[in-house]
Amino acid sequence: MANNNKWARILVYAVLIYAVIYYLLPLYVMITTSVKTTEEIRTGNLLSLPMHITLDAWRKAWGTACTGVQCTGLSLYFWNSVRMVFPAVIISTTMGAINGYILSKWKFYGSEIVFAMLMYGLYIPFQVLLLPMAQTEGYLGIAGTTPGLIFVHVVCGIASTTLFFRNYYVGIPDELINAARLDGAGFWRIFFRVVLPMSLPIVMVTFIWQFTQIWNDFLFGLVFSSGDSQPITVGLNNMANTSTSVKEYNVDMAGAIIAALPTIFVYVVAGKYFVRGLAAGAVKG
Amino acid sequence: MIQSTRPAQYGFAERWLPRLVLAPSFLLSLVFIYGFVVWNGYLSFTASSLLPRYEWVGFHQYARLFANDRWWVAVFNLFKFGVLFIGISMLVGIFLAILLDQKIRFEGFIRTVYLYPMALSFIVTGTAWKWMLNPGLGLEKLMHDWGWTSFTFDWLVNPDMSIYTVVIAAIWQSSGFVMALFLAGLRGIDDSIIKAAQIDGATLPRIYWKIILPAMRPVFFSTLMILAHIAIKSFDLVVALTGGGPGFSSDVPATYMYAMAFTRGEMGLGSASAMMMLLSVSAVIVPYLYSELRRGSR
Amino acid sequence: MAMPALPAARYPNSELEKKMGALAIKNVTKSFGDTHILKGIDIEIDDGQFLILVGPSGCGKSTLMNIIAGLEGPTTGEVHIGGRVVNNISPKDRDIAMVFQSYALYPTMNVRQNIAFGLETRKVPKKEQDEVIQRVAKMLQMDHLLDRKPGQLSGGQRQRVAMGRALARDPILFLFDEPLSNLDAKLRVEMRTEIKQLHQRLKTTMVYVTHDQIEAMTLGDRIAVMKDGIIQQFGSPQEIYERPSNLFVASFIGSPSMNFIDCHLAEQNGQIGVSLQTDSDARFLPLPNGQRLAGRVGQEVILGVRPEQLDVAHSDDNVAAISIKVNLTEPTGPDTMIFTKINGKEVVARVHPRDAKGPGETMRLALDMSKVVLFDPKTELRLE
Repeated sequence: MANNNKWARILVYAVLIYAVIYYLLPLYVMITTSVKTTEEIRTGNLLSLPMHITLDAWRKAWGTACTGVQCTGLSLYFWNSVRMVFPAVIISTTMGAINGYILSKWKFYGSEIVFAMLMYGLYIPFQVLLLPMAQTEGYLGIAGTTPGLIFVHVVCGIASTTLFFRNYYVGIPDELINAARLDGAGFWRIFFRVVLPMSLPIVMVTFIWQFTQIWNDFLFGLVFSSGDSQPITVGLNNMANTSTSVKEYNVDMAGAIIAALPTIFVYVVAGKYFVRGLAAGAVKG
Repeated sequence: MIQSTRPAQYGFAERWLPRLVLAPSFLLSLVFIYGFVVWNGYLSFTASSLLPRYEWVGFHQYARLFANDRWWVAVFNLFKFGVLFIGISMLVGIFLAILLDQKIRFEGFIRTVYLYPMALSFIVTGTAWKWMLNPGLGLEKLMHDWGWTSFTFDWLVNPDMSIYTVVIAAIWQSSGFVMALFLAGLRGIDDSIIKAAQIDGATLPRIYWKIILPAMRPVFFSTLMILAHIAIKSFDLVVALTGGGPGFSSDVPATYMYAMAFTRGEMGLGSASAMMMLLSVSAVIVPYLYSELRRGSR
Repeated sequence: MAMPALPAARYPNSELEKKMGALAIKNVTKSFGDTHILKGIDIEIDDGQFLILVGPSGCGKSTLMNIIAGLEGPTTGEVHIGGRVVNNISPKDRDIAMVFQSYALYPTMNVRQNIAFGLETRKVPKKEQDEVIQRVAKMLQMDHLLDRKPGQLSGGQRQRVAMGRALARDPILFLFDEPLSNLDAKLRVEMRTEIKQLHQRLKTTMVYVTHDQIEAMTLGDRIAVMKDGIIQQFGSPQEIYERPSNLFVASFIGSPSMNFIDCHLAEQNGQIGVSLQTDSDARFLPLPNGQRLAGRVGQEVILGVRPEQLDVAHSDDNVAAISIKVNLTEPTGPDTMIFTKINGKEVVARVHPRDAKGPGETMRLALDMSKVVLFDPKTELRLE
């Protein structure tokens, strides 16, 4: 019996470790490939370790790789993404916090309908919005600009940020709000002095969720940006799919890692909040 | 019944401030989501091609769509992709969650490893797998180097198989997420139920099969919803991995819509395909939301 | 105890001054669609009184409390506080303070900040704030807790802070919403006494919601017993205990509960009374001034007898005594409960332990017929 159990546990560990390798292998391949020369890629194989570590591919991916017609590397796109992601995240998170506060603590006749409307908005395939949004941005003169992209991300992000905050604030007892009302505090004072100081966890969750969503977005970046406002995902895809005579997989991999670094960093530093965000996102479906 | 928690509000500020502050979000979503849905719906009944042309043509675009082979390839690809991606991700995720629930050492580390792909962009995932599944230098060469010289793996360039490479990469990215959801669900189960079953002499597999997994139905359901959602919206991964190719053999509705609307100058066809996507999502989501909201308001 | 008055000027109108602090609820109803939570509530109390709203859960007492506080609005009717109609006045301007069931302390603020929050909002000068905090902390003996966060406090301490926050406001009306229900039994009794002392010291009008009839009896000057959104009885604790207006009030107030014995009203030898039957005896017990019930002779009534009104018969010639068989005893220390059956109904008597007999034995119990009450089984109302 005990022996049996021991073998069972060894088997469990074996499977788990096998899975660890399965999930890590692509990362290993990406990293090793990115420090190889094109020559070595051709002679070696996926798993072979690099013989001479070189950062040429990284330099090229960052500074000189061709993404379509221009050959300026990913740096431009990277900074585009940075310029886009922070305003979009901050605006959508702020609006979500206030909306969630109203929809949980200041309900009014019709507020449930607004909530249902936002909820359904979460599930709409964005394809339905692309054509009208492209037209509208044209009229507004923000087509193909970073502000235009920020606007799209905010519009499409409000629903999830509102839902996150609303679900969190539902857990704050109404008595606390009532106590503050009796203490003479009004709408904003209750929000800033009582509710917001309690919101650090959900602010973190929402911020990180929005950050990964917006940083990783490709569809909106592709449709609503052009030339000098395109985000990193579009840059990476252009680079990897540029038909040049020789496919430089080392540069592609270096570029992929560059594109992944910010979200990986967030995941490593604040993984707890990242997972909570995923779970909260799952509640919404 | 819903109003019971609505607080009494006094004076101009309390009565109007919440509405006023909520108004921008309400208007944004009313105009830029719902208004656009209607607009897109309208476009799908017009002769718009390269530019919007508001000339009513009835169901003409839908008739063209249904007569279009490429659309049906995309639909069937989505079906294949959805079934395999959801099914296998679920199985792998549940399996790993159950194994990880056995008081494993280094659980935190293992969990972190399983979940990190979820932090990546599908574009990154696509780029990486495109390299690994590359017929010349990728997996095939590795197998040849290891002595399996007859091994061929050309799915990426094989029109019959290219959609399955998307399945492979998507499972890699999302199965850890399923694991995390189910692990959280397993942790939420009352320990005493398991102890009671053990005292009754039930074996561990039996306990899982008969007691624990049935108790996870809500988790199962919400995971199903989110995976289905990922599947229907899948666009990035296909673009990065296969570009919809070879030809249009790995197209899905999302890439089809993009191609029609933005590269082929078939705006009417694109908006009609978007409406079809909306309708199929709504067929599932509206009843689900309705039941959720009713339950939520008690 | 002298309280430094807050700077807020109170109603200079002398006519209002007379009724200041008093609370009047006039025909208040509350409905959500077809659900009627409150069905016409009328309550009026004088300045300085301690009003209890008591009843089982779902009776509407908390809703009524919220309406008094202004957290919910009534569907119809008026609420007067300190002589003015407050229906359209925000909670913060009603000059009230409230202690909540969950204490509702702001978790991110320490005790001092919790107490100061309301003062700050009302723009009380900093120096005065500190004075108020010191006074309150001293009154409730929580000086040493001022710098702690609510999460670092025990349940009892949190309760104290919640009271301190209300006290700091020096309102004309205190509201307590089941403030003791989250405490353990021992602490609950202690805090009950403290609240009573506080009321005696402050002499401020208080409204207190509870589902616990012992709290209601021990604390209240006036008790409103509620059920199904209706005030079943409104009166002093003694009135409610001795002359419950209906079966519900009679059974809800008092522990162990009042015994209800089904019997017939009969006339024997010119006296009107009830016939009781036990396992070992059958008696006709005449009611003092039973003539008032002459019109009901022959009808069924319910005889309500409190356990302590069933005591051991010490003399043999007691006309209102009956011998019973003991089924079960429950010693509580000071008293022993005797369980038996009268007219087929389980009945409890509260006797001195030395008089108690064991199960299976018989003993003679005397009914205090001057205190028993009769109810109409159909209307469930007490018969006058």
